[in-house]
Amino acid sequence: MGSVRINDVEVDVDPKSNIIQAAQQAGVEIPYYCWHHDLSVVASCRMCLVEVGEKKPDGTVSMFPKLVPACQTPAKPGTVVITDSDKVKKSREQTLEYLLLNHPLDCSICDQAGECYLQDYTYKFGRAHSRLNEPKVQRLDKYHIGDQIALFTDRCVMCTRCVRFTREISGTSELHVVNRGSVEEIDVFPGHECNNKLAGNVVDLCPVGALCSKDFLYKKRVWWLKSANSVCTGCSTGCSIEVDQNEDKIFRLRPRENPQAQGSFMCDEGRFGWKYVNSEDRLLAPRKGKLGTATPSPATEEKPKSDLDFSDPWPNILNDVNQAIAEAARHDAHKFVAIFSPFMTCEEAYLLASHLKSINSHIRLVLGPVPVVGADDCYPKGPKGESPAPDKVKFTIRAEKCPNRLGVSAILKHFQGEVIEWSTVQSELAAKHLQSALFVGGYPQPVLSNADVQNLSELRLLIVQDILRSKLTDNANFVLASASFAEREGTVVNHAGLAQRCHAAVRPPAEARADGRILMELAGRRGLFHADSLLQEIGAVIPAFAALKEATMGELGVKALS
Amino acid sequence: MISWDYLWPLFVAMGIVLAVVPIAGLYMTFVERKLAALIQNRVGPNRVGPAGLLQAVADGIKIFLKEQVVPNHVFKSIYFLAPTIGLICAMLSIAVVPFGPTEVGEKEGFRAIIAPGIDIGLLYLLAVSGLSAYGIILGGWASNNKYSLYGAIRSCAQFISYEIPLGLSLLGVIAAAGTLNIESIVASQGPGLMHWNVWWQPLAALMFFTAALAETNRLPFDLPECEQELVGGFHTEYSGIKFVLFFLAEYTHVVTVSFLTVLLFFGGWHFPGLTDSVDSTWGGYAVRWCVLLAKVALVIGLIIQLRWTLPRFRFDQLMGVAWKGLIPLGMLNLVGLAVVLTLDLSKWWLAVYSLIIVLLVGIANVASTRRTSTSNSRSNIATDLRSAPYEGAS
Amino acid sequence: MSEENSKAKKHVTWAEPPQMTLMETLYIPAIAAGIGTTVKRMFGKNETRQYPEVEPEIPPNYRGVHRLNRDDQGRVKCVACFLCQTVCPAKCITIEATATDKTDPNWADRDKYPATFEIDELRCIYCGMCEQACPVDAIELTSIYDLTGLSREEMIFDKEKLLEVFDETTQSGKDPVRTKRGTLGPASEILVDLPDESSSSDHPSS
Repeated sequence: MGSVRINDVEVDVDPKSNIIQAAQQAGVEIPYYCWHHDLSVVASCRMCLVEVGEKKPDGTVSMFPKLVPACQTPAKPGTVVITDSDKVKKSREQTLEYLLLNHPLDCSICDQAGECYLQDYTYKFGRAHSRLNEPKVQRLDKYHIGDQIALFTDRCVMCTRCVRFTREISGTSELHVVNRGSVEEIDVFPGHECNNKLAGNVVDLCPVGALCSKDFLYKKRVWWLKSANSVCTGCSTGCSIEVDQNEDKIFRLRPRENPQAQGSFMCDEGRFGWKYVNSEDRLLAPRKGKLGTATPSPATEEKPKSDLDFSDPWPNILNDVNQAIAEAARHDAHKFVAIFSPFMTCEEAYLLASHLKSINSHIRLVLGPVPVVGADDCYPKGPKGESPAPDKVKFTIRAEKCPNRLGVSAILKHFQGEVIEWSTVQSELAAKHLQSALFVGGYPQPVLSNADVQNLSELRLLIVQDILRSKLTDNANFVLASASFAEREGTVVNHAGLAQRCHAAVRPPAEARADGRILMELAGRRGLFHADSLLQEIGAVIPAFAALKEATMGELGVKALS
Repeated sequence: MISWDYLWPLFVAMGIVLAVVPIAGLYMTFVERKLAALIQNRVGPNRVGPAGLLQAVADGIKIFLKEQVVPNHVFKSIYFLAPTIGLICAMLSIAVVPFGPTEVGEKEGFRAIIAPGIDIGLLYLLAVSGLSAYGIILGGWASNNKYSLYGAIRSCAQFISYEIPLGLSLLGVIAAAGTLNIESIVASQGPGLMHWNVWWQPLAALMFFTAALAETNRLPFDLPECEQELVGGFHTEYSGIKFVLFFLAEYTHVVTVSFLTVLLFFGGWHFPGLTDSVDSTWGGYAVRWCVLLAKVALVIGLIIQLRWTLPRFRFDQLMGVAWKGLIPLGMLNLVGLAVVLTLDLSKWWLAVYSLIIVLLVGIANVASTRRTSTSNSRSNIATDLRSAPYEGAS
Repeated sequence: MSEENSKAKKHVTWAEPPQMTLMETLYIPAIAAGIGTTVKRMFGKNETRQYPEVEPEIPPNYRGVHRLNRDDQGRVKCVACFLCQTVCPAKCITIEATATDKTDPNWADRDKYPATFEIDELRCIYCGMCEQACPVDAIELTSIYDLTGLSREEMIFDKEKLLEVFDETTQSGKDPVRTKRGTLGPASEILVDLPDESSSSDHPSS
């Protein structure tokens, strides 16, 4: 660590960091466009120019005669930085004036307005008026440079973050700069659209409104979005994300920087994989009794409640579910299986497992099907699309498409000493050895084969807790409408044993309820579902989760399992 | 026995009264609105019919077609009875009031009065008009509502208080005419302008008008129904036709009072220049009728004008006007009357006497309200009141 | 406490009502004067305006029913920036934005426009902040003051209705387009003749 002086503040910084990071540490803002801590440094935007000097061993300070880019200058010990001199201010003002020369100023229709660095910096550091009298250089917009990406060329400030991302992180190198001077612009090679699995990140990286997500384009102005910190449930990487919602409607997911989990990015699979939350097939209310029809169709859904019907269907149904479980367990507990979805949070798995074991310790707890698609997908790709060497991996899309296999397994292991795999139950089902089952779903896509569904449907008792309507829910004796990842609180453990907290961003639709709340009431526990206190209980009860007992979860998560 | 010849004029007179009074009541609302509008620089009702003349008819139709709302909490039988009683009492008092020129003692043929030649006219009138408080009190009480009851109780107190100056003010007129018969009293005032009772009994005329106004519950004496304090007073719970009955009773009172004021103090159908007896010619008869109705219209106009001129009294002021103003003045007037009658002096002495009384009372009033060290004493009271809580705290 | 008393005495002046004169205590002259006043009033000029026969003159800055302006090609001028919806204190504006059809030559120069634009005229408080917020002078309040309707639904004005209001008011000549702020957006008309050339630099866009 070395001591660096930023304006009047003396800070100890890592000598590897640059002056922007040092200034951040000192609480001084240095504006920048092109620099990003996960990308290489190009120092092309000239926004971060500051006065830099060096403290000599004899105590005198010698300043460099020119302004230097803060992003490119390492904060070595003894560096003196001045960010608020007239020279620096003038420089920023001029830089911004140049950036805005050909900018169309169409903030009123730009999706970035509200979270745009060009806007913010112009307010903070720029001049109020333009002095340009000549017509602006028009650069044509490219509304399709990728399936998910539109490029508004005229808004671009040529920071080349997106270009460097496709070269350094995804390794696919679709984007590049064409032309020079005032007609310089970002483009793709003909026929090679920017469609890699990480392409959505260039929209986040773009500091202005040049790259826009087609999925979110014109859907909502960003100042109306409220964010909740959450975790992507698309795969076992468990990317930290922010869920942006307005009026209980999700509009987009954005990666949340978390060096412990995935870094600064997320894949498109996760980014756009939340649509099932608003699906028309969502279960809206709990139900007792089979639907009976073979083909699920919306017309057979139970009658919508009248506006004046405030009755709560849950207490009766949960009561009946409990009685049915007790009845089945009394009959033959060995033939009762509870199938735990790897989409459950740790708290939910714990609540359900402890409740079932307290009814009858012979009830078997099974880890449900774990969806696996292909193999882990590692980035950056090589020139021919080959995967990188293991030590060069910067981002991985895991094959295991569920967020919490490790967490649920650890809990099941605690309650019955072993984790019964789904395949075991599958064969028992096929052999008609089982009589009743409780199936917890929550899968965005159906995971059960038709044969499995058929076998489960033929059981004497089938209780399904799920979010989407399927053949399985139609044939269940009890259906408990539960919540998606964006609608519930809880902790999930990713592939590396990192426990992270999901926060509810929106409310579950209609009468559906967050799983935690359902299980709290099913277990007859008093009070409201509270993830923190449950997690402490888990930490105290289950040795594998001991790390969770004392630690506070925070937003970056805690290493729980190894 | 009672012959048909004797009865038909009676029925005709009753028919005229029963037909004209409600219509007059309806049209008085129109006149009142129109006058109010003029006073307030507005136009007033002008949409229904020419110059808005059918407004009263439209109002009447509307109010008859209104829903009958009967609150659950009222005492049903009395609630329905009260407005009827109010209107009946108001109508009864008209029976002895001549609504056109009549000859005294004439009992054959049509007379513009329901009960011609009745010798206890004024006594009957005082008795019956006192009854009309009944309707209001019953209505307020049957409504089973605090505001209505307050209105009724106020009305009760007001009636009792103002009956006294009303009676006192009439004594001079009765003594001079030597009869309670209203027709005779009118006859005694003819034919010249200076024969009118008002000239030698100005104080009594004023007292009568004031007290009678109070009896009608009109501004500035409408405390039983003042909106700002009591929502609607005794008729808060009444709507539609039941409300109209109360309303009609009030306007009937106004009509009665106007007639009485004119008949008792302003020479009735007499006017300078009209010297013939009442029905010597049809033309003379008609002119006298017109004179009477014109005088009555003027008084009604005055009553409406007063509504927009004077603010409503506070309740203590209302009581003060009766008990501390009108009643003592009436007693003093009575003393003067007794002296004049006993010593057989000219009745013009009474006019002088009235003026002297008024002046003296005014001077006494000024003297009594003159304060010597008022500001001092008042600020003492104020600071004492203000410091009271501090005292308690320390 | 005595201190407070003396303080109060020092700082509080008590106003006394003026003494009544003899004429005033007699009341009768005062009442007569009052009647005189009301009688005089009866013959004064009356102030009633016979609406609807005589319509009031509406000042040009009156804030009545909204309209959505059209640009010179007849398209809706609004670019769906949502600023009016954001600034609206009554939350009566609901907009749904959509991208323009790029294959349509009429819309080639526009990126975004309102698919729906609804104003709940019953909820609106007619503060005019939408008009102030609009960067392209697309929403304006007209001088229509006598808006009536028989149901709540018909008082929710959609885009077509608001454009109709524009057509009606501009055709009748009652409400010329009154806000012209210049080239702040793609739909705003070009600011050609500025009164002072140097003032054009006041706009960051020019």
